Amino acid sequence: MPSAHFDELVARLHDDARDGLTYMEVCGTHTMAISRFGLRELLPAGMRLVSGPGCPVCVTAIGDLDVAVEIARLPRTTIVTFGDLVRVPASRTSLAEERAAGADVRVVYSPADAVALAAAEPDREVVFVGIGFETTAPTVAASLLEARSRSLANFSVLSLHKTMPGPLRALLDLGETRLDGFILPGHVSVITGSDCYRFLAEEYGVGGVVAGFEAEDVLEALLMLVRQREPRIEIGYTRAVRPEGNPVARAVMEQVFEPSDADWRGLGVIPGSGLRINAAFAGFDAARRFEVDPGEPQEPRGCRCGEVLRGILDPADCPLFGRRCTPETPVGACMVSSEGSCAARHRYQRLEERDGV
Amino acid sequence: MRISTVDGAMAELEADGLMQRASLVLVPQAAVGDYVLVHAGYALTVIEESEAEETLRLFAEIEAAGADEAGADAAADDTPAPADPA
Repeated sequence: MPSAHFDELVARLHDDARDGLTYMEVCGTHTMAISRFGLRELLPAGMRLVSGPGCPVCVTAIGDLDVAVEIARLPRTTIVTFGDLVRVPASRTSLAEERAAGADVRVVYSPADAVALAAAEPDREVVFVGIGFETTAPTVAASLLEARSRSLANFSVLSLHKTMPGPLRALLDLGETRLDGFILPGHVSVITGSDCYRFLAEEYGVGGVVAGFEAEDVLEALLMLVRQREPRIEIGYTRAVRPEGNPVARAVMEQVFEPSDADWRGLGVIPGSGLRINAAFAGFDAARRFEVDPGEPQEPRGCRCGEVLRGILDPADCPLFGRRCTPETPVGACMVSSEGSCAARHRYQRLEERDGV
Repeated sequence: MRISTVDGAMAELEADGLMQRASLVLVPQAAVGDYVLVHAGYALTVIEESEAEETLRLFAEIEAAGADEAGADAAADDTPAPADPA
């Protein structure tokens, strides 16, 4: 979206950035926006923008997806999910393939729709697969409160939710790439606020800026990062993010969820980085309600999504990219999800080639 | 999106002529006329109005600029969407 302001931001970024800076974004919507707006091509020559574990569908461990698939195969059971998850390959199959084989898999825009579905179909077990970070978890918590107030006996949630600061610490502890700063998630931070990221600056000496999703927002965040004299956490997206976040949303989450360990594709188990349904809502916990044995998890052969998610493998450098792994025939989650690094690169790379850019 | 009506915890929202319903349980302080960020059917926060107005004004300018160009193919197929997350 070119404008005078946009051009000025690009110019200032070129003026102020020294060589060899590497920044990481950790939000699937930023991944998409950066590719969509062609921002990488506008950066100063020495500046690198890498993509981290910001796509909730992509970081869902394949073993967890296998559980969802097994639940989908149960009789009189309806699996409800956001659209992305349906085509992600699990160890042996996918929700889409199960649907083709007769399972009831439905896509919704809102977890409230899943609750409505359960109320409308009392003879079916309705299981909502809860995937997402702090942006989505409050909405799932709110819909569980609704389900309880309506005394729904046939509704449950398989919580695969994860929380954000944990993987940032894990990435820095891995130390695979020297990072000069983070473009911090926009909508997760609406809920969490920015104070939860202070450890990045204080313990690791890495700064961060919470950014919005327009091209100018991302460029402004980069400029703010470049101009930091010492590592700090700042908010660029001031129109939606406050340092304290949304305490009401966090309180709703705490009514229903508690921290748990979570298994992240590419990063392994990160303690305290997941959300599981607490004892008060145990009756709505699909993990407790359904005993399924999905068998040994198995990543797709040759898939390198884990390295892409850690920011050490560029999608275009994966041997499968654009060949065996395409949006039509995806091998791994990063190519399927609407917020996946590989999907973003593939979609906008092809457009650039078509337009002769 | 802008809140046009409120009915208990539910709101009717409007942006560029598009209407949508969302829950306000996560932003109990939101009122008619406020701009909110919406995700998966729930408002997540009230957006600072002046910034949202500026964004809408910029969109209007871009649309007007597109209409000024010689008739053919003035429709922008890449019109930026309002700040609703995927």
